[in-house]
Amino acid sequence: MSCDELRDQYELYALGVLDAAERAELDEHLHREGDPCIEGVRRARELMASLALIAPESHPPARLRAKVAGMVGEPKRAWRWTPVWIAATACLAAVAVWLNLARHDDQRALARALLDAQRKNVEMARLTEAFALMNDPAAKQLVFGEGAPKPRGRVFVNPKQGVLLLASNLTPAPSGKIYEMWIIPKGGSPAPAGLFQSGADGTAMYLRKGAVDVATTGAIAVTLEPEAGSQAPTSTPLIVAAL
Amino acid sequence: MTFLPLLFAIYVGEDDRNLAERLKRREPAVMGELYDRYGKLAFSLIYRIVRDVGVAEDLVQETFLRVWNRAQGFDGERGALGPWLLAVARNRAIDYVRSSGGKMTRGAVELEAAEHPSVFVNFEADVLSQDRARRVRGALGRLNENQRHVIELAYFEGLSQSEMAERMGQPLGTVKTWVRTALKNLRDELGEKAITA
Repeated sequence: MSCDELRDQYELYALGVLDAAERAELDEHLHREGDPCIEGVRRARELMASLALIAPESHPPARLRAKVAGMVGEPKRAWRWTPVWIAATACLAAVAVWLNLARHDDQRALARALLDAQRKNVEMARLTEAFALMNDPAAKQLVFGEGAPKPRGRVFVNPKQGVLLLASNLTPAPSGKIYEMWIIPKGGSPAPAGLFQSGADGTAMYLRKGAVDVATTGAIAVTLEPEAGSQAPTSTPLIVAAL
Repeated sequence: MTFLPLLFAIYVGEDDRNLAERLKRREPAVMGELYDRYGKLAFSLIYRIVRDVGVAEDLVQETFLRVWNRAQGFDGERGALGPWLLAVARNRAIDYVRSSGGKMTRGAVELEAAEHPSVFVNFEADVLSQDRARRVRGALGRLNENQRHVIELAYFEGLSQSEMAERMGQPLGTVKTWVRTALKNLRDELGEKAITA
């Protein structure tokens, strides 16, 4: 195909979403010195970079800055997973140099393996938190949706650690929407307790950290809300677990 | 909602070239400054994709760590630090969604290639500017619903045109037309000619 014919593919290439055959064709052009597609793809990358600005503004937890700033070189800090992975990264990099990995495929495979390990570690950390909350004798277990076609699951309310929701048959929220958890005091208005999405298989695990006053809490609920979240429920609850 | 405070920080803070050089010198203090500059935007982007605060928090850390580890390959003179960091953030989030949806293999290589630091060179300085943000939102708002939807599916979910067609229950040709028209409109409004006009 000519560069003119490939012009419509530049942005999709820049986004990394071209099908394999289309990508291979454009890759051929990008390896030719002076090919007009090179400048076209550069402009496309520039254009696509701006799309990050359309994500609705969200507020990261205040603790996140300290976590990021502390990932490298902080003199004293508690043990956690990030330093381990910094060390793992360094070791893998050293191994890569030692083996003189010149082929890109090998380097990509190495990076892929490291990322997979990082992801598993993140998942493991979340599961560990969830198990700790569930196994605490102080945790109160609530069941919802029994016998109903969907959704169903359990809510664990731990007075010190927070609220853990485990749900199945919870269809992923459609575009522009998200699930929001509510902690409903007895005789009071629902208080927002965080946003989450369910997986493609309809399962969800959401942990809302922080102390909960079990004595004054009447129920935990989940509604479907606009993706930025709401301060009060705007739809009928899909999940209600009464204490 | 607005990124005004963030964009203000970007334009009055230390310039990206200096930050990039300090990253390459592996000065630990630069991580906090880099976060001040791009942390909120990275978190917003990742959260829009994964829709889970805890996961977004983890992926923001992974993003900054990846930038730290790969800074040696970044061109401090010609490179665009913000766009590179946001590409890493987007890719980490999409990779997470794909892997949790059982689709880890497809797209992994493309994402790796799409975030290589060497490709983020010679960008216009205003790629993440306030004016650019306003024009991007305006241009997107002028697309019709289907055109906007396919752009969001490609950018926020990393779907190929075939996957979009399957998701939307539409013929592939129809989806390709929507994509082509949407991208042409965005190019016309936000491309080089529009910037310099």
